[in-house]
Amino acid sequence: MTFVLITGRTIVQGSYVERKSHPDYHVEASALHMNPVDMLEHDLEEGSTVLVSSDAGKVVLQARPSTLLQRGELFVCLGPYANHLVGPGTRGTGMPDFKTTAVTIEPTDDPVPGVAELMRRCGGVPYEG
Amino acid sequence: MRVEDVVCTFCGCLCDDLVIETDGKKIVGVENGCTLANEKFMGDHRLKSPIRREGDRWSEVSLNDAIREAAEILLDADRPLLYGWSGTHGEAQSVGVHLAEILGGVIDNTSTVCHGPSIMAIQEVGHPGCTLGQVKNRADVVLYWGANPIEAHPRHLSRYTTYADGFFVKNSFRERKLVVVDVRETESAALADEFVRIEPGGDYAVLSALRAIVRGRGEVITGPVAGVSREQLVRVADLCMKAKFGAIFFGLGLTMSPGKNKNIRNAIELTEELNRHTKFTISPMRGHWNVYGSNEVFCWITGYPYAVDFARGIAFYNPGETTSVDILRREECDACLVVASDPGAHFPRACAEHLARIPTIQIDPHVNATTHLCRLQIPVAVTGIDAEGTAYRMDGVPIRTRKLFDGDHPSDTEILERIYAIVKEAKGA
Repeated sequence: MTFVLITGRTIVQGSYVERKSHPDYHVEASALHMNPVDMLEHDLEEGSTVLVSSDAGKVVLQARPSTLLQRGELFVCLGPYANHLVGPGTRGTGMPDFKTTAVTIEPTDDPVPGVAELMRRCGGVPYEG
Repeated sequence: MRVEDVVCTFCGCLCDDLVIETDGKKIVGVENGCTLANEKFMGDHRLKSPIRREGDRWSEVSLNDAIREAAEILLDADRPLLYGWSGTHGEAQSVGVHLAEILGGVIDNTSTVCHGPSIMAIQEVGHPGCTLGQVKNRADVVLYWGANPIEAHPRHLSRYTTYADGFFVKNSFRERKLVVVDVRETESAALADEFVRIEPGGDYAVLSALRAIVRGRGEVITGPVAGVSREQLVRVADLCMKAKFGAIFFGLGLTMSPGKNKNIRNAIELTEELNRHTKFTISPMRGHWNVYGSNEVFCWITGYPYAVDFARGIAFYNPGETTSVDILRREECDACLVVASDPGAHFPRACAEHLARIPTIQIDPHVNATTHLCRLQIPVAVTGIDAEGTAYRMDGVPIRTRKLFDGDHPSDTEILERIYAIVKEAKGA
């Protein structure tokens, strides 16, 4: 089943915007908000790890039920996790498709990577200081 | 010490009524702030000194060496990209534009991934906007379209709309109708008198349907449009046409969804149609506290609001070509200076990968996702706490931010002026 990934602001994400190494930022930015019925159908519980894939990439996220969403919709707050899925094409506008990325999901036992690890996968070197 | 009328440098609301209690170089109390403001002022998570990376090893470096190295990286580059700017004051933005010009580089601000499409639409059809004070005092109908102020601009409703009594709107909560249009039933939607849920990607169609109804051609709408019933469309259009003064605020739900700049153009043209019946305005919900200022400063100096390319020796602007995401996607730039933003977190992965490949320099007070991608980071003072300067509120009103105490770090302006001086000398300009 293909889902539509919507990204956007949350107040917790905003609160930690200057502390992206904090564990609470990691939890918020890697939360995969899903309609509870979709979670039931995919045999997912709150906190289940899910491999989310798009044409642009893959990333492991943690499922979180949300009644704000319709079935078939997923929400991840803006940040490095969502951006592992959003493609860099802008259709001549400069703006990527942050609100309508087509993704698929599958349960996984892999852990959710940290922000520094995500950046290492992009070719960076984590700064631990 | 207690400081009153402090300006919050978090979001585009630039709330200017905070009361801050300081103890030397530490903030110990915040009054009137939202959750975001409290975190901004009470948080103390600064990078202590400049850091540089050599291979896989990070080490501290002196400020003088960091500034010298930053200038050398930019001088060595054929096509440097200078990105960010929305989280610093106008004076620093101004130095940034001059630096881009002397380097022959590209300078872009965070509008490129927020309201860039809004600016493109405004350039096509104009901007029937107004100040937030006008909305507070006059608006009896407010629409938030693709915006979630409860989470992104927490005091927008209490200072300007639903919970703010105005001169002509004495009991705002009862007299001001609130319409929220979104694909998700957000916390803001829960407050609305009318919540319009749109299917993802359906904004353009719904705006067109509303325009048809307002134009008196409602008969062309025969059924639901992008998940919105005909009855609700007619109800919302009637509510807007009967308003004494209506205000639309739109967010990234419109600028980032399919249609992008054309969504905004359609929304502006809906506003134009509504002005045949009553007074209506439309305004973007700007995110970063001084992103509007970056557009203003870029415009004063270059004539263009973002994505300005000086490679030709003159200012050139073409969204889709000179915008940061496109330049990084094409692996075009060979060095990047990031100031007061975090593209490592907020650009698609392919862009972050290119930032890691090239020498990236960051000027920012905090460790963020871009830190892990860069070669050099220079910490600076935080505007509104230990630096001051001019910022522009989301409605274009300039507000002077205040310094609460003298901190341990130089301001963005000071660092950028020193880099500029080295570059200018090397260029013999």
